[in-house]
Amino acid sequence: MSLISRNIFRALVQGSQHVSKGVHTSAVNTKENVCFAPQSISTLQPNASKEGRIKCTLIPGDGVGPELVYSVQEVFKAAGIPVDFESFFFSEVNPTLSAPLEDVVNSITRNKICIKGILATPDFSHTGELQTLNMKLRNALDLYANVVHVKSLPNVKCRHHDVDCIIIREQTEGEYSALEHESVPGVVECLKIITAAKSERIAKFAFDYAVKMGRKKVTAVHKANIMKLGDGLFLRSCEEMAKLYPRIQFEKMIVDNCTMQMVSNPNQFDVMVTPNLYGNIVDNLASGLVGGAGVVAGASYSAECAVFEQGARHIFSGAVGKNIANPTAMLLCSANLLSHVNLPKYSRMIKNAINTVLKDGKVRTKDLGGQSTTKDFTYAVIHCLS
Amino acid sequence: MAVRLFSKLRVLPEIKAAYSSSAAAAAPAQLSDFDVQHKTPVIRKQKLIPKAQYGGRHAVTMLPGGGIGPECMGYVRDIFKYIGAPVDFEIVDIDPTVDNDDDVLYAITTIKRNGVGLKGNIETKSEAAYVTSRNVALRNELDMYAYVLNCKSFPGVETRHKDIDVVIIRQNTEGEYAMLEHESVHGVIESMKVVTASNSERVARFAFEFARKNGRKKVTTVHKANIMKLSDGLFLETSKRLAKEYPDIEHNDMIIDNCCMQLVAKPHQFDVMLMTNLYGSIVSNVVCGLLGGAGLLSGRNYGDHYAVFEPGTRNTGTAIAGKNVANPIAMINASIDMLEHLGHHFHADLLRRAVHKTINVDRIMTPDVGGTASSTDVVNAIIGNIGLNH
Repeated sequence: MSLISRNIFRALVQGSQHVSKGVHTSAVNTKENVCFAPQSISTLQPNASKEGRIKCTLIPGDGVGPELVYSVQEVFKAAGIPVDFESFFFSEVNPTLSAPLEDVVNSITRNKICIKGILATPDFSHTGELQTLNMKLRNALDLYANVVHVKSLPNVKCRHHDVDCIIIREQTEGEYSALEHESVPGVVECLKIITAAKSERIAKFAFDYAVKMGRKKVTAVHKANIMKLGDGLFLRSCEEMAKLYPRIQFEKMIVDNCTMQMVSNPNQFDVMVTPNLYGNIVDNLASGLVGGAGVVAGASYSAECAVFEQGARHIFSGAVGKNIANPTAMLLCSANLLSHVNLPKYSRMIKNAINTVLKDGKVRTKDLGGQSTTKDFTYAVIHCLS
Repeated sequence: MAVRLFSKLRVLPEIKAAYSSSAAAAAPAQLSDFDVQHKTPVIRKQKLIPKAQYGGRHAVTMLPGGGIGPECMGYVRDIFKYIGAPVDFEIVDIDPTVDNDDDVLYAITTIKRNGVGLKGNIETKSEAAYVTSRNVALRNELDMYAYVLNCKSFPGVETRHKDIDVVIIRQNTEGEYAMLEHESVHGVIESMKVVTASNSERVARFAFEFARKNGRKKVTTVHKANIMKLSDGLFLETSKRLAKEYPDIEHNDMIIDNCCMQLVAKPHQFDVMLMTNLYGSIVSNVVCGLLGGAGLLSGRNYGDHYAVFEPGTRNTGTAIAGKNVANPIAMINASIDMLEHLGHHFHADLLRRAVHKTINVDRIMTPDVGGTASSTDVVNAIIGNIGLNH
């Protein structure tokens, strides 16, 4: 019975999808919209604007990444969004098939924007190298700032409501320096590198981001009571930067206390700035508070380019090919990308559609307690595009 | 500023090597002036703040100021949204009626951390002696020693002289604007004019580098050294000395009163003009008048670290605020300068072509330059022309 009703529903959704698609393309051609066509002048790729289309690098990633990316492509196609993807198979677990790092880096440098699925990181290294592919990509592009906006979504049942915090993480140094060695058999040393330049840079990024988003408070997360020099430097850099932002409240919190506060009273947080590893932990913790890895979008920034990827990095390999992964996070990423390149209209369109589908609550993927598939959800979103 | 820093680079080859190798790794393309300001060591040593550029977008401080400032800034924001300029504005409003300087200090802080500002004219309502002019405070605090005004005729605007093309470079932080005045005896006021060798040299070098970089032929130093033999004398001597380092650029000097007469009679003899603070203020207003008034030209303030862009003549236009007749071109030109400085040449070109077409071809102008259109008409025409261009 449920199978029949689901199929009927799907047929309905798909039918209406075609209708809405038709309506939309005709709307693009009306005079009013032609007048607004230069909205598609990319802010970052001026040369692409001749045809009014923007190029975006696409890395599907491992695990369910390709399925989620497909969902994004379907939505873009249905909405008639002027973005062309330049796709690269890029994977560490499949090194023979993977595109070379330089090609990917060149493409992102040229396009300045990228949508990226999650790359699986094997527990061992084929070559003895300690740097993972993710880290190589970040270092090559100098993607130093990772931003995860953790926000409660409508009708997603969680313990906490109205969580709305931005976690900013330095992701090119700290514990992820890939400098480990065994000095004496049985004794391994792992170097955690903190530099003033990078700490100041991430602190300034956090404050500038807070200013841009109209936020009130920045919290520095650290463990300077134990790592007095390393985290101490990070903390001092943040304090130094805070002086330049007299209208933004600055506070500091030790990472262990921070995680406790996060699960007991997450509403107290606004913008958080963290070194590498703490950021990773806090990102995942906060994502868990609002519905898990499938619903939280993130982005990594360098001075020149931006890579949009899920906020909590899990490949969800158990769901590969099962059509059950939640595409919300990836769709939110794509919406953020569109507003970054000055296509706010399309960005709002996708965000509104996602909110409508979630509010409706009829189409939910498994992680949110429903039975719908990735495809169902995607088509429901497409159906709600207006 | 930039041109000056380039000259520093020649002096310090090892820095240049380090700088070019790091630049080659990041972006082999030419650096924008904004990048140069952020990457090179400077004379007045101060802690370098990381640059406010994220994912290709720049953060810029916007100070709408008083009078017609807020409405013009509104137009700029509309246009930027339309052309998709990768700039995020941080807007700081300064309340002109308040006597304390909190807002101004905050504005200065924001420019320090963003590196770039776009500003209208800030009113200083209070005439109390202890309240300094906010515009002057801003320039002094940020040490923006050079002011550049590009004066180029708009063919579409009716004026007595055609094809004027003069660049005015003005010392921006000292001279008559030292703000040192006192009453030594009752009824006797002394106002100090301060000229220093270091600042004169900085601005003179800036002028010659500017001339060389922009393919200009001649620099004219404007002064009154026949009366103020020591202060203006120093300024003149410094520029003469520096002129010897630039044999490819012709140098002459002219006394300010004669200069004003020459300007209104035969403006075509001038190329780049270099002068002290007060003369700069007067001469730039004269030239603005020759070209069609306060509403067209844009000026640039440069320091070693910061750059602030503003309309060329520093009038607030309080009388015409809110009447939809203010000329938005000056502010739009300032925003074009800003885009150039940040390295967004495509967007700057797009906007420049649209402004050119609107004024010189379509002749859609506000009443102050002989048109009949309202401010919003002009802005809409510009937006329309952007659409045509692409």
